[in-house]
Amino acid sequence: MLRLIAGLETATAGRIEIDGRDVTRFEPVDRRLAMVFQSYALYPHMTVRGNMAFALETAGSPRAEIDRRVREAARVLKLEGLLDRRPAQLSGGQRQRVAIGRAIVREPVAFLFDEPLSNLDAALRIETRQEIARLHQQLGATTIYVTHDQVEAMTLADKIVVLKDGRVMQAGAPMELYLEPANEFVAGFLGSPSMNFLDVEVRDVRDGRATVANAGLAPVEVRTRGAQPTPGSRARLGVRPQNLTVLEDVTLPPGAGLLRGTVELSERLGSETVVDVVLPDRSRIVATLSRDAVFLPGQDVTLTFIPEQAHLFVR
Amino acid sequence: MSEVGFETLRAPQLEGFGNFADVLRDEAFWDSLGFSLRFGTLTAVLEVALGLFLAVFLAPILQRHAWLLAILTLPMMVAPAMMGLMYRLVLHEFVGPVPHYLLAWFGTSPAFLAPGNVFWTVVVIEVLQWTPFTLLLFHLAYGSISGEIREAARMDGAKGWWMFRRVEFPMMLPTFGVALAIRFIDGVRVFDNIYVLTGAGAGGSTMSLPIYIYTSFFRGGNIGAALAASVLFALASFLILALAWRFAQRRPA
Repeated sequence: MLRLIAGLETATAGRIEIDGRDVTRFEPVDRRLAMVFQSYALYPHMTVRGNMAFALETAGSPRAEIDRRVREAARVLKLEGLLDRRPAQLSGGQRQRVAIGRAIVREPVAFLFDEPLSNLDAALRIETRQEIARLHQQLGATTIYVTHDQVEAMTLADKIVVLKDGRVMQAGAPMELYLEPANEFVAGFLGSPSMNFLDVEVRDVRDGRATVANAGLAPVEVRTRGAQPTPGSRARLGVRPQNLTVLEDVTLPPGAGLLRGTVELSERLGSETVVDVVLPDRSRIVATLSRDAVFLPGQDVTLTFIPEQAHLFVR
Repeated sequence: MSEVGFETLRAPQLEGFGNFADVLRDEAFWDSLGFSLRFGTLTAVLEVALGLFLAVFLAPILQRHAWLLAILTLPMMVAPAMMGLMYRLVLHEFVGPVPHYLLAWFGTSPAFLAPGNVFWTVVVIEVLQWTPFTLLLFHLAYGSISGEIREAARMDGAKGWWMFRRVEFPMMLPTFGVALAIRFIDGVRVFDNIYVLTGAGAGGSTMSLPIYIYTSFFRGGNIGAALAASVLFALASFLILALAWRFAQRRPA
């Protein structure tokens, strides 16, 4: 997808427009986009300065102009002291910044990022993610950022487009997608640990609400969105781990969902406790509970959730 | 060193550095050294240039049909002496097919093995046999440039000659140096294909240094001089190689 936009691959159908200009048949460079590659793809035989200046030299910009733009980019990216080094002499994070610098000097109409953080270790990834967010605010240029990491998507995006097998699953603001996922794929993609899905039977449907139940789930009335399920059919009920609480912890609100199961594994992370629960139909769910929740494997447990926070997906 | 021939092999007589002096005074030695250096340099440059050109030019085809490489590198499998023998037949003034057809089609055929032409003949023969080797090296080097770097360069607007000169060639530079050095070494010490084809050539026109050593050893029976020439050859080689590798190492990675 990104490669199509960049012009590295040719579209077999449809049109690509940038600012209302049809660029479907344009060469990559004529689209005035800049791309940051997953492997950074820095030129190993050039210095940092050479890497950043290459596009401008290719375009035949005057030397003074090249020098000015490279120095400006180096200042923004804090690379001033490294301009005469080669990529091999840089750390992963520094290489990443050079790759971004190479994009910045071209002053493109939009930036394309192809999973730029996947080559960094966990600590550096968070740091660089915040760096990219800061840069984005500073530059204010449109950016298309491809990632498999839901945290990156949630934190960096103004608008997320979730794709699966080349099809748009849902598009919208991050919180919109988190709170109102249009389908199981989007619901499972955003949030960590990911959403639990229960196979349920639809008992009753009326004015936008459906009553569902299964072996471990007491009948509960939940909202339906979009396509209405038919009574008697099977559907999937999604509940986020964070939205589950232990029955003893709260006074039960009327109409709350009730889930009965057996604890299989309990992990105390300090700030919270993550419990794996096996339901009577052998399906597994995960609940993120308070840090004081203590369970032993094999112990029976009843979990509750507020129906408004559950998502019903029609098959 | 000592005064020794096959006749006096069992009773050598000490000579001091006389043999070295003789060799250094022998014009044929300098001619053969000159021939070897000229031959080594010229064939190395031609093979590297041709191999690089073919590797880049044929890259799209070779990437799809790897078996073509097998055909292209086949000449390397032929023993150089056989190569010399083959060309001796192919270029033979009276029975060789090449002079025959040139004569039939164009009415004239150069005397390939005449003193004026023979240097170029052996150069072409060597280049034809060993260009596949540099082609193979450059094919691998060219293929190992990561696709993302090429794409990055395309995004930066580079294409064609500019892409090659600024991105691809600099990345193949180490291979370029190694190919040049290996082919130069192989060219300087050339012996068998030339020896089989022309011997020392008319008037020593294809006398490479190894051939000089060989002829003074076996034909001249002058063992002392042959050994002195060998030692000088070894020293010269050491100097050239030491300089070459030093140069190769100084280049930053």
